[in-house]
Amino acid sequence: MSKSSNPIKRDTSIPRRPLLWMAAALLFTLPPFFDSLAVWVPSLFLLSLALKFWMETRGYRLRSVVLKLMLVATAVTTAFFSYSSVRGVEAGISLLVVLMSLKILEAHTAREFRVMVLIGWMLCLCGFFLSQDLTTALCLLIAFALLAVALIQFHRGAAPGAVWPPVGTTCKLLLQASPLVVLFFLLFPRINTGFWFELRPFRSANTGFSDRLSPGSIAALANSSEIAFRAEFPGSSTRPSGPMYWRGLVMWRCNGMEWRGPYDPRPKSSSSTRGFAGNSGLPVPSANAKEIQQRITLAPNGARWMFALDRPIKAVPGAMLARGDYLLSVQPIRKSRRYEVVSSESSGNEITAKGRAEALEVPASISPAVRDLAHSWTVHNHDSRGVVSSALQFFRTQGFSYSLTPGEYDDLEEFLFRRRVGFCGHYAASFATLMRLAGIPARVVVGYLGGEYNDLGHFFLVRQADTHAWCEVWLPENGWTRVDPTAAVAPGRASLDLTTFLETRIASGQMGARRNALIALLLRSGVFTNVRFIWQTLSYEWDSRLLAFDADVQDVLLTSMGIASRGPVFLIVEILLVAIALLAIYFAWMQLRTRSRTDRVKALYEYFCRKTARLGVPRDPCEGPLDFAQRAAQSLPNESNRIRQIANTYILLRYAPQPASGMVDRFAKEVNAFGARTRH
Amino acid sequence: MKAGKFPLAYPTAGFGALLFVLAAMWYAASSQNSAAIYLLLFLLASVFLVSIPNTLTNLAGVTLRVESAKPSFAGDEVVLPVEIMNTSRATRYGIEVVLPDADKTRERVDSIPRKSAARLTLRFASYHRGEHKIENLDLTSCYPLGFVRASKRFVSNQTYLVYPKPAGNSQLPTNHSRFADNRVQQGIGHGDDFAGVRAYVPGESQRHIDWKAVARGQPLMTKEFAAETKGAVSLDFFELRFANVEEKLSQLTLWVIEAERARQPYGLRLPGVKISPALGQMHFHSCLRALSLFRPVEHE
Repeated sequence: MSKSSNPIKRDTSIPRRPLLWMAAALLFTLPPFFDSLAVWVPSLFLLSLALKFWMETRGYRLRSVVLKLMLVATAVTTAFFSYSSVRGVEAGISLLVVLMSLKILEAHTAREFRVMVLIGWMLCLCGFFLSQDLTTALCLLIAFALLAVALIQFHRGAAPGAVWPPVGTTCKLLLQASPLVVLFFLLFPRINTGFWFELRPFRSANTGFSDRLSPGSIAALANSSEIAFRAEFPGSSTRPSGPMYWRGLVMWRCNGMEWRGPYDPRPKSSSSTRGFAGNSGLPVPSANAKEIQQRITLAPNGARWMFALDRPIKAVPGAMLARGDYLLSVQPIRKSRRYEVVSSESSGNEITAKGRAEALEVPASISPAVRDLAHSWTVHNHDSRGVVSSALQFFRTQGFSYSLTPGEYDDLEEFLFRRRVGFCGHYAASFATLMRLAGIPARVVVGYLGGEYNDLGHFFLVRQADTHAWCEVWLPENGWTRVDPTAAVAPGRASLDLTTFLETRIASGQMGARRNALIALLLRSGVFTNVRFIWQTLSYEWDSRLLAFDADVQDVLLTSMGIASRGPVFLIVEILLVAIALLAIYFAWMQLRTRSRTDRVKALYEYFCRKTARLGVPRDPCEGPLDFAQRAAQSLPNESNRIRQIANTYILLRYAPQPASGMVDRFAKEVNAFGARTRH
Repeated sequence: MKAGKFPLAYPTAGFGALLFVLAAMWYAASSQNSAAIYLLLFLLASVFLVSIPNTLTNLAGVTLRVESAKPSFAGDEVVLPVEIMNTSRATRYGIEVVLPDADKTRERVDSIPRKSAARLTLRFASYHRGEHKIENLDLTSCYPLGFVRASKRFVSNQTYLVYPKPAGNSQLPTNHSRFADNRVQQGIGHGDDFAGVRAYVPGESQRHIDWKAVARGQPLMTKEFAAETKGAVSLDFFELRFANVEEKLSQLTLWVIEAERARQPYGLRLPGVKISPALGQMHFHSCLRALSLFRPVEHE
């Protein structure tokens, strides 16, 4: 048992233990802020938290109103200047974080502690604005729980137990809350109020590639382990064999070493999607080609690219199939998106006259030496296939090498004849340009190659580092055929995954030399791979099941349950009724669980006392059973014998060394009979 | 003491702020159509909802017993000891006793383990003399989260006595002039003769506590010393020349105290009441009680 001074009456300081919990919670809200906001914002937050602890122990206060106002003004101005506006999500959140830091610095009464906890919960909300991946979500949910712990510790006061009891209570609360959370999450109507403000693209740059392929634009992505998308194959349980080329964007406009997307990524007209096999008349290979179904969960990239294996054959909802057989989203992809797409392994086989002309355009600025090289291949070979293999032979034998850091140059001639070092972007761009010069329609495809197969979750994880560029050439007999010149130079590229990627980074000295041995050991150990796979799988489940559960998915669920048509108000009322019922069950259960067990004799005697009270003789709490019996017998002379009898039995049951075995039952009978007789 | 069957739940000030946070979360979630923010919203809402039955249960099996308060003088603090009993099989946390009628006086106990009790003392100001009834006592708790407060009302028959405020500037009457010369103002504790013991009142000097009795396991007692006793004085209501009855009572109260301090036997005469001269705690309190309960209407 412990007493404390009344926190409301003498409200002068924040108790220490809850403040420690609160600090722990607030530290967990920080990672998303450090990721996305200007560094001084979370730093200020940390600083004020540290300062608060320093001040609390010494009893210092921020008392001066002028000082407070000056601090607020300084903070707001700094926020304004560092974002050059106060609009936009990042600036708004920064402002909120800064003001909260100041509030933490200023708060000094126990009453304000509750406000601080609520502020902490608001910070969790801000964190979710900035990032929603599993790591952030875990941090923020831990912060949420720790804030609850802080609040509970605050209300426990000086009760014994500083760590486990409040944590246990929080766990109990969360456990009890979990059915409600599931209920609300699945069924609570998701009314859209998005018309007031729209989340602006707050990432400074879009992740992933752009619609321009220039030397080095892909190399810049090669160091990014950020997730591009994940792909499952719902039809088959095994992973498809062979190199996985994930088509992203097709580039038509050649400018030597630099390629660009089409002038107008209009959807293909339906008439051109089928049948026209160019000028060769050969049988269409796609008739018996394998079709692969994929379920792809796309990470938000801010652009409109959507990915599919080899060649998607049908557009997915919200996207179109652009010319060149690639998916293009109607809206920029700002949040995690899941879609199913069917791809064909075969190449596209149609080409229009206009398309053919476009696929042969070359800029006039290309040097004669390069033109001569392309012409030399056409002279020696009579069909397109021969030209393609000569070109590949050229790349394979003339001392070209593959490098992540090829240096800065964008001249085709210099690359082909002097430097001969490049990344996949260089090879794809130069090869496609050479093919056009040789009279073969060619285009560049940008996408991803490979990815890491997760054995646990049976999905491919494709990272930005897997970005790749390759070519497609039009061969009369095959239609559009994929040619990967990079594979001719660096055959190992197709099987590059994260582990090897990290190893190459270590080898190239990008990580500290001393840690190399340890990291290499870690990379090779099975535990590391397993942990990584488990984390990836969890992260995938989080993205694909939880984050993807939006209003549309909910609609499908509600329809399948047959309660979609009743309207949101009815749904809310029903959910609240269920919630109230659940709370009532909790209440009853907790009451039963903590109710004291009264023994039967005592309960019977109390029943007897209630009966006499009804007859006008209530027992005084300080009255012994004998005294009471005496008094009751005098007041109720008709019942005096019974009353004395009951009192005697009660005293025997209570105080006799060993009461007879059947006595309790006899006592029960006496007590029950007492009321029944008198009432008649 | 009667108690309401079930505790009732009321929102606290924090509830409004929580609603604001929930509304902000809901607005953010719905405008972004973000499942993660919805999850946070529902988590907070559910934890809050679940805290309501927890708060209500925190009062289950907790009962209150008011002990008798020692009489106090008007204008002083009334000290009211209460005992909170936890008859349940779980520890109860953060329980407050509130006196709604006496300026919402509240006192808090942080935890009461199962099957045990805590004692608290409520202190509140008394303004008027007489016998007062403690009618309502609330047992409240807002554990665990503090957004709702459960409250259970107890109705008590317990009374406490408030003596008139001692005031006035008249000298203690000296009815027995033959003793006037050697009358020396001497308070309790200043004499040489051991006069007896009485219950220790918190705040008194520890020097006169009967520590030997404490060592024997007896409660704290204060030893009283007094100088030689003197002739009796009569404190007479009718001899006072104040117009106001309350002023007369205040003066009489002061005299009673002074006489008791001086170990001067005193008697009291009020309309309809006559207490013959004597000394000692019993006599002292019965005089003060008579002064406290005096009703002027019946006698004028």
